[in-house]
Order: sequence, then C-alpha cells, then structure tokens
Amino acid sequence: MSALGQRVWVLPGGLIPWPTHGEEPEFTGFDQLCILNTGDEAAEVTATIYYEDDEPAGPYRWTVGACRVRHVRFNDLVDPAAVRLGRPFGCVVRCQVPVVVQFVRQDTRIPGGLALMTTMAFPAS
Amino acid sequence: MVEAVQRARAEGWTLRPVGSGHSSSPLVRTDGVLLDLSEMTGVLSHDVDAGRATVGVGTRLGDLGTQLYDLGLAMENLGDVDLQTIAGAVGTGTHGTGVRFGNLSTQVAGMRLVTGTGEVTEVSAEKSVELLPAVRLSLGVLGIATAVTLRVVPAYELHRQTWCSHIDWTLEHLDELQQRNAHMDFYWYPRSDETQIRILNPPDRSPDPRPQGTLGTDEVEPSHRALVKQRHLRFDEIEYMLPSEAFRACFAEVRRRIKTRHRREVAWRLLVRTIAADDICLSPAHGRATTTIACLHNASLPHDAYFSDMEAVFRAHGGRPHWGKKHSLTARDLRPLYPTWDTFAEIRRRLDPDGVFLTPDLADLLEAPS
Repeated sequence: MSALGQRVWVLPGGLIPWPTHGEEPEFTGFDQLCILNTGDEAAEVTATIYYEDDEPAGPYRWTVGACRVRHVRFNDLVDPAAVRLGRPFGCVVRCQVPVVVQFVRQDTRIPGGLALMTTMAFPAS
Repeated sequence: MVEAVQRARAEGWTLRPVGSGHSSSPLVRTDGVLLDLSEMTGVLSHDVDAGRATVGVGTRLGDLGTQLYDLGLAMENLGDVDLQTIAGAVGTGTHGTGVRFGNLSTQVAGMRLVTGTGEVTEVSAEKSVELLPAVRLSLGVLGIATAVTLRVVPAYELHRQTWCSHIDWTLEHLDELQQRNAHMDFYWYPRSDETQIRILNPPDRSPDPRPQGTLGTDEVEPSHRALVKQRHLRFDEIEYMLPSEAFRACFAEVRRRIKTRHRREVAWRLLVRTIAADDICLSPAHGRATTTIACLHNASLPHDAYFSDMEAVFRAHGGRPHWGKKHSLTARDLRPLYPTWDTFAEIRRRLDPDGVFLTPDLADLLEAPS
C-alpha cells in the first residue's frame, strides 16, 4: 500500500496531566502520539519538543515498521531527557516517509474522573 | 611502578591509578599524578583445574569475558555494564545480581600490588592471607595493583528472558523470583508502575515462577554477553545496598516519595538486584544478604533534590552506598556501617603510611576526624 500522510507534523498543545489518580498504568494521565505508517518502508521518526521557557529538547527517535501503528506516551520518553509532567510543550514530528499522526490525552487529575481528548496533529508538509 | 611510588613518596605527590572512568564518585580526582594502566591487559596465566586466571589490571570486563571464553573459562557473575577495568570493578565492589553470587570483589583470589612504600606484595590464600579481605575491595588506597588473580569457572551459557510486568505482581512474587532463579533483577518505571523483570538461568532451566506479562528478550548466549545490558543513555545514578530484610519497607517508602514528590521530573527507572553476603572489609554486602536499589536519572536533568531524598530513605533502612556511585557520606557516617572498618584503616596506614594514594576526597571518605 502507498504511504499515506505527511512527513512533518506539528502539535502545539502538549501538557501531560498532573497529578494523576487511579490504578496504573490504566488510569495514568498521559499525552500520547499515535503514528500510522501505511507504507512499505519502516518510518524513522524524530521528534523535537519545544517549551515556554527553555531550549528545544531532542531529537527523540523511534521506528514505526512498515504497515504498522505505534503509540508513544510522552510520559515514557527519557532519551535524551524526560518531559516534565504538567509543563506546557509543543512537538514537531519529522519522518523520511509519509505517516499519519494523531494526539490523545488521558486526564485523571480529578479523583474518580477520566477525560479523553483526541485531535489530529497539524500536517505541516 | 615501584620507582613511581618511591618518587611520589619522596617528593610528596599523590598517585592515583585510573581505570575506565566509569565511577561517578571522585575516587580518582587528584592534583597529583594519574597512572594509566590501560596497557596492562589480557590473561597472563590460567589454570583450568584450579579455576584460576591471572589478568592484567587494565583489562576491561568486556574484553576479559571474551578472552576467558576463548580459554573455556568465565567469571561466575558479572555486573550489567562491562566497560570497567577489572581493577576498577573489584576495587569499587561492582556487582551483578543473584542471591547465590557475591560482588565481583569476592571473585578475587589474589593480587600483586605495589604498596605506598614501594614494596611489591603478593596477596593470596598462600601469602599474606590476612590482607585478602582488605585488598579485594580497596578503592586503590592500599597500593597500585599490577595483576589480579580471579576465581573462575568453566565457560557456560545463560538463557536471558525479560518480561514487561506490573509492580504489584513483581513484589508479590519477588522472593520466589529471587530464590528460584540463578539471576533475577527488575526495573520499576515510576510513571507507569510497570516493571521489566529479567531472569537468567542455565538453558535447561525454566524461569520459576514464569512472570506475568509480555515476554521481550529471549536469548541464549555465553554468560559474559548474556549478563551485560547495552545502554547508551547518559545518566546519573545513586545506589544503596540494603539488608535484604529491609528491602520491602525501604522500597515502599522510595516508591511513595517518588510518586508524590518527584515524579514530575523523574521518568526513568529504578533497578533492584541482589548480592550474597561476604567478609570483605569495605564490601557493602559485608556480613549480610543484600538487596540493592539504584535510581537512574537523565544526566541532563537536576538530580540533587531527588537523590538526596532517596538517600535519606536508604540510610534510614541501614543502607550502604555503592562506592563508585553518587552519595554524600563521609568517614564519620561510613565507619558505623562497617564492622571491620578499623581493620581496613589499620592495614591502609600500614601499607601506605605517607598517604601516597590518599587524595583529599579519599581522606574524607576513609579517615574520620578524631
């Protein structure tokens, strides 16, 4: 199947919800990237994270296999540095092949409450 | 080497041997002279029947594993990093995991060293045996080691398996996992409460119990490759050795504090391992079965508040710090933790009466103000 999507995606509204309530990992508050690679070539993805008050961090790297989807929680990123919970950030995702990028947030800041939000990232090219 | 020590003694320099630079505590820092032993490498002699191999002190563990394997031999256990030199690894009490295995210093059967007076001293079960519990782990303050004799075993393979599991299941089955498998350790991930359980057994032995969760790594390799993990991330680390009976209470408080105080910044993992008791003077596993907790944190992020809070918990549970990792203790704090502290101090003053190897950092660590 031909590769669908774009090579550069932008997500300005990151903020991993903090604090978090409930059993983990099911109810951990998170921000998550969902990357779909419909092409026949593995997608080498890099992400750069932008902050309000600090220099950009990155690159964060991962591979999405041919004809595969991968969900990556910003909470779990540690290389080159962890993303602080509750801190506003933006993210630019680049890839050598077209992919489709969606964003999902799970918010459990209210004890006993759970909110899910999702949106497509902005396809910049 | 003898000339260097004699000249340093006569002219009042400090001499420090350099290993691979893997330690993050200031064990080597000096205004004096650094001795680079990186050319002193390789297996110098070996005796398969006796289970002994004498090796150059600058041999890195990774190279040593390969060279021993080619001779049909292996170290009985290794840590999860193999970048260190053998002298640096045993000199700081580097360890792996497994309730039946001591740290790497326990594998030292003998050592040849140039003491602070310039004398060449052989230490083994046959010669100067009274020095053996001190020289096996000495932070390089008793002399410059020029050869290390190791207790070795026939080469063997290990089946390495990892599972992604949950902290609740891991803690519930921890005793069985540690006791019934040759080697077991686990990482806890504070931002998800998930764990990575790692079990290594001889290939004909199944994991017992089989961890609940998703199987990841599943490989059989020679022991010197199976026991070592690959890491490329730059990190800072604090690690304390706890009496095993104190582990559960200590880990519960560590986990509580991380989740309530530190998780906004702390995303990476904690490593839990085990070490058998030994009788080495300065071994953090001296006299007690030991469980270790290590906190690994991105080197680019601040760690002072996090490590300081963790260290307070470790100390409250009788922990002893890893000599080569970050901690804040000095001799005044350390002496009460080690029953044979004074024995080591007496040997140190005898072998290095003028402090040729004693930098100000090491004096803080080893010499309590009277």
